[in-house]
Order: sequence, then C-alpha cells, then structure tokens
Amino acid sequence: MTATDLFHKYPLIGNTWDEMYDEDRVRAHYQNVFNSLSSIPADELSKKEELARGLFMSQGITFTVYSSGEGIEKIFPFDIIPRIITASEWDLIERGIKQRLRALNLFLKDVYHEQFSLKDGIVPIDLIYSCPHYLREMQGVNVPHDIYVHIAGIDLIRDHDGTFYVLEDNLRTPSGVSYMIENREITKRIFPDLIPQNYVRPVTQYPNILYNNLMALSHGQVSSPNVVLLTPGIYNSAYFEHTTLARLMGIELVEGRDLVVENHKVYMKTTAGLRQVDVIYRRVDDDYLDPLVFNPTSVLGVSGILSAYRKGNVAIVNAVGNGVADDKAVYVYVPEMIRYYLNEEPILKNIPTYQLGKPDEREHVLKNIHKMVVKKTNESGGYGMLMGHAASEAEIEDYKKEILKAPRQFIAQPVISLSNAPCYINGKAQPRRIDLRPFALCGPNGIEIVPGGLTRVALKEGSLVVNSSQGGGSKDTWVLAK
Amino acid sequence: MLSRVADSLYWMSRYMERTDSILRMLKINYASSQDSPEDFSWEPVLRIFGNLDDEGAAAIDNNSRKILQYIVLDRENPNSVFNMVTIARENARGVQDNITTELWKCLNEFYHVVREERLKYALQYEDPVTVLDALIKECMIYFGVTDITMFRGEGLCFMNVGKYMERAIQSADILDVKLSNFSNEVDKPTDTAYWKYLLMSISGYSLYLKRYQSGFEARNIIDQVLFNVDFPRSVLYSLNQLHRYFERLKSDQNTEGYAKVQFMIGKLRSKVQYSSVESVSLIGLHDYLTEITTEIDDIGSTLNKYYFAYS
Repeated sequence: MTATDLFHKYPLIGNTWDEMYDEDRVRAHYQNVFNSLSSIPADELSKKEELARGLFMSQGITFTVYSSGEGIEKIFPFDIIPRIITASEWDLIERGIKQRLRALNLFLKDVYHEQFSLKDGIVPIDLIYSCPHYLREMQGVNVPHDIYVHIAGIDLIRDHDGTFYVLEDNLRTPSGVSYMIENREITKRIFPDLIPQNYVRPVTQYPNILYNNLMALSHGQVSSPNVVLLTPGIYNSAYFEHTTLARLMGIELVEGRDLVVENHKVYMKTTAGLRQVDVIYRRVDDDYLDPLVFNPTSVLGVSGILSAYRKGNVAIVNAVGNGVADDKAVYVYVPEMIRYYLNEEPILKNIPTYQLGKPDEREHVLKNIHKMVVKKTNESGGYGMLMGHAASEAEIEDYKKEILKAPRQFIAQPVISLSNAPCYINGKAQPRRIDLRPFALCGPNGIEIVPGGLTRVALKEGSLVVNSSQGGGSKDTWVLAK
Repeated sequence: MLSRVADSLYWMSRYMERTDSILRMLKINYASSQDSPEDFSWEPVLRIFGNLDDEGAAAIDNNSRKILQYIVLDRENPNSVFNMVTIARENARGVQDNITTELWKCLNEFYHVVREERLKYALQYEDPVTVLDALIKECMIYFGVTDITMFRGEGLCFMNVGKYMERAIQSADILDVKLSNFSNEVDKPTDTAYWKYLLMSISGYSLYLKRYQSGFEARNIIDQVLFNVDFPRSVLYSLNQLHRYFERLKSDQNTEGYAKVQFMIGKLRSKVQYSSVESVSLIGLHDYLTEITTEIDDIGSTLNKYYFAYS
C-alpha cells in the first residue's frame, strides 16, 4: 500500500464540520501534517500506533478494571493523528472561556452570599434550591480570594458550520489534564520533529501554573505552605492522573486515611508525627469529602474537614459546592449571568436547552423527542442520557416515565452533530466525532488557559458520545503559534 | 514523609528482596534436582516458601516443573513470584510521587512480564533456567535502578531497612532449612554437591572457595552465612546495613520511636557480632536462628507501631 492511500477515499459526512477537510480541499493548518503523514508508509503508521500503546502500558498510564478478583490494566485509547486548532480559533476559545469563568465565579460567590442574581430574577431561586449540589453548609463561607473555580474543564463542541458551543461547564473535579500532557509526550516519540515543524505551543507549563495558584491560597501565616493532592486512592480510574499531577508539582499525594482533623485544623500523619496541611487540591467529590457532613458511609474523605474549611484553616480546591453552577439546568442561565455580572455579550454560545421542569418546554420536548438529546441535570460521564434519534420506542417510553417522575432533573437539547476529525483506524484515516476540553486555571492573578486540552473522540463509527466510559478515546491537541 | 508512604516503600522493598532470593534459590534448586535426583528433595523449599498442606504437597510430588509453576506463578500461593511482584508494584503505584519514574516503570514492566501468558508455557515446556534468568534479570534491573536513580532521603532509608531485614531473614531461613536436614549427621563425609548448591543459591560459592579453601565443612558454611561481613548475604552484613540505614532516620521528631527501634537493632546486631560458630552450636543452630528471626519480626512490629501506623 502506498502512503497516499492513508487519506484516499476519506468519506466526508454531510452537514458536519470536518476539522481537516473543507469540501475536498485540505485546510491550510492541516496541510503540513497531511503531507508528513502521507509520506509515511502505512505499515509504519501501524507500528507507531503499536509503539504508542506500548509506551502507555510500560509507563503505567492505565486504569485498572477488576474482574474475577484480578486487576486488568487498560489504556485510554489514543488516536495517533493530532487534532489541530489555529491561533485565531484559540484566541476565540480563550477569550470565551475566560469570560465565562469570570461570570461563573461571581455567580458562585453570589449564590453563597447575598444572592443578588436570584433576587433580581436572573436565575430562578427554585432552580437553585432544588439543585442537589447546592450546599447550604457553604452559605456565608468566605473562600480565599473569592475564587471558587480554580480548575475548570469546559467542554466545547463544533456545529456543522464550525461554530464553537459550550456543551457543559465542569467546575467540580474535571479530569483528563494528564492526558493533555502525556498525549503530547507520546506524539514527540512517535512523530519525531513534527511538533517543532508545526510551531505547536507547549503544554508542559500546566503543573507549574497550578502549583503557584495553590501556593497562593495558603492563609499566609506559614513560610512554606503544605500543599497536598487528595486522591480517592489507587482503585480510582483517574488515579494515574492524580499521581502524575502530584509528581509534576512535587507535592504529597494523600488519601483520606492519611489525614486527620484536630481542633479544626487538618494534619497529615507522617513518620515524624502530625504535620499541618494548608491547601488541599482534592480529587474527591463533595459527597465523599466529609462523612460528618455529607455521605456518612464515605471512607474516602476526612471527618471534620469541612469545619476546618469553614474556619479558613485549610483551603480546598475546587471550592465545595461548585456543583450548583455546572448543573445542566443552571447552564441555561450562564449567558444571562455574563450579561448581568460583566455587562458583556457572551463570546461562546450555549446550546439551545429545554428545561423539562417547565411545562411548555417539556411538552415540546416530549413531542419532538426523536430530535433531542435528553440528559439528567446532575449526571456526567455520558450516563443517564437518551439519544432520541438512536433510541428504540421502548427505551423512549421508559425514559419518558423517568422524566415525568422528576422533570426538574432533566434537560433536552437538539442533536448537535459534533465535528469530525480524521482518525487512524484499521490502517485508514476515517472521520470520527470529537469535542474539546481545555483546562482553565484561575488564580489570584487571573485566569490562564494552557494552549491545548483534551480532545475526546467517539471511536465507534457514527457515534456522538465521546465519554471514555462509553467507548471514547483521545487525541493530542495542538494549538498552533501562528 | 507520610506514614503510609514509608509503609509502602518498606513493603515494596521487602517483597522485591524476597522475590529476588526466591528466584535465585529456585534456580539453584532446579539445577540440583537435575544433578542428583536420589538425594534431592523439594520438600524444604515448599516448606519455607509455600503454604500447601500435605495433600497439596503430595499432589505436586517432587515434580520440578509443577513446583516451579507453583512457586513462580500460582495465584493461590501468597508467596508466589507472581503475587509478590504484584504486591510490590501495587505498593509502588500508591507512592509514585515518592519514587523515581524510572523505578516505577521498572516495577510496572516487571508486573507485566509475570502476567504474560507465555511465561506459563515456557515454564512448562521450555528451559526453566532461561525463564528464571529472565526474571532474575528484572530483579537486577530493579536493584540497579534503585541504586542509580533513587534520591538519598528518608524514602530510600525505609526501603533499605526493609530490604536488609528481609535479607537477614531469608539467609537465616535457608541456612536453617538446609542444615537442619543434616542436623544429626554433621560429621558425615561432606556431600560436596549439596553444599555447593546451598552456597550458590545465596551467591556465596565463589567467596567460600576463596576464603575457606578447605573443602566443604558445616562450620565454615555457618561462619560464612552468619558472620562473614564481606558476604553481602550474611546475617551480620545485613544487620550492619540495617543499623546504618536506620540511624539515618534520626530526627528531632519521633525520638521515642527512634530510640526503641534503634535499641532493638543495636542489641540484635551485637548479639550476632559477638557470637561464634562454637557459641551457636551450644544453643543449637535451629534455636539460634529462630531467636534471630523472631527479633527481626519484633523490630518490624515496633517500626510499624512508631513509624507506619496511620489508619
């Protein structure tokens, strides 16, 4: 097989944005990669794919699936063809996310203090109080620098005309950033010289920025703050990410059982006795954080940690209670928040969203359910979702019953087709749907977004679901410097 | 350092030391089994490293292949190489931010090696020495990577404490098992092959030839395995190293725990240092070795109480 066969007969999907092709012409920013990949013999590409898999495996960039008492190491599937974002596209994304995050941070501070936006009717009060992630324990609590969202992983998708839309705001414990870093390292190995030839902006600075932001959160009464990363432990599917971030920042990776609270202060148990902890980057959800306040059966958290937090003796990242701002029904009001708090027009669009808690919208959705994607407001990871165009009648009927039980807990959106990018599958380049999750870091000196992110791919042909729990993979994501 | 981290590093290191010594011991015993089948028995090996009941032991009989499979790969045998490497790697996985990436990669790769389906086939049908050599090489990579890359800090001290405690126990156990077979007939004309394999299994053969030059005598072998400080697997050498690395953990905190453990290590080390083959034979070799391993276990419990307790 000759090299040019790689992109031969690449099928363009109608009414969908293709990242590489504009009709039958290769977009300028993909031309260089197109040429390079086309000049590589096809069996070499398969070897590169094999090399990538071997590198993930030997470095332990894996998650463990337990079956019949024995752990099996799995890798998060990686597609070798990079996804490329131009400098001007990135400029828009960057401005749009920064704007959105500023508004969301102000909203969280507002919700947990004066609630101006609720009183002014910008966001319906009942929507907030019925949100399971609204935590009254956080009412009136001051957090350092008024920052709630220190790390955001806002998901973006592109409609058929290439317009970027925000799919969801992940403001709690967004994951995947280690793949942004590791995928780049793998690309360096499998495609020597390709990255410098294309002027790809680096992503390696992420841990340093995050570390500086974390240090800045300490209350300032100690000369060298003790910053730790709290993980649920080695059985968590994102454990690799936790250990990578801790290692790259040089901070201690702790589990709930390593910590203890005494007199409203958090300590870690060391070989030299107890040592106070000042800042916790936690990768444990709110629910599991403190068994005295939230889920009492949790063994992943630390008893009393919330009282230490409320007293300001420890900083927790992201703040507790952020879930109220990335609730899928509250999402509807983010453009209004931007206008209300910032007096600006939103740069990034929201997907039109119907709230099934509203009778007229519910009626409309139920009538047109075949054209809709219906989601639960408090679920993530692609769980609890109904794809109207793909579901059977029986599935739809069952789902309708679920909706009617608790309409507030559902939203619906028209099917957005997601853009396609070429993926290396069975020796050929084939179009697959992708999204984009850039990682934004918010510190006392403002918001920084490392140029890159996690591009997730729906590897199943025709699928629109990119979540890793539903057969998704990822790509190295390039932002070009020029 | 977090207590949990210290605990994991200590156990990771102990398991790797144990893996290494089991593999070496297996290799030599296998060679021995091919040499003199009438005199050779796997029974002592199964007794120290297996947990089979009589029935289970009878089932694998004296079949070298079956025994190798049992000790290297058996999922049900807690001391199998498979399980020990898995546990060592699991411990390393939980403390990746406290070891070098090279060390983590090395253990992770070893873990993938012992899980290869091919290994089972190779142990069954191919040359076992080749298989064992390949596994021993993984251990040597581990020790080399540790030496070359690990930062000289508290973590490495806990790893070395674990390593030398384990080594002292292993050497004592092997001596005990091998010599107790001979307990009633020490004066029997020495079976050269037997002693040779004992020494080879703890890599002490060349040193023995150089040092003692007198052919194989039980007293010389006891002397080498217990007291020879030039022999890196002798009990005294291990205790000296244990003492040395533990002393580096001295700090202004945890003075109580330090004093307790330091006392125990110092006492045991002196006891071995000021013993001789003659004094040992007065007590009886088996009883003497049991005293030593019991004291090492006590040191382990005390370490656990003062340094590792976290939950």
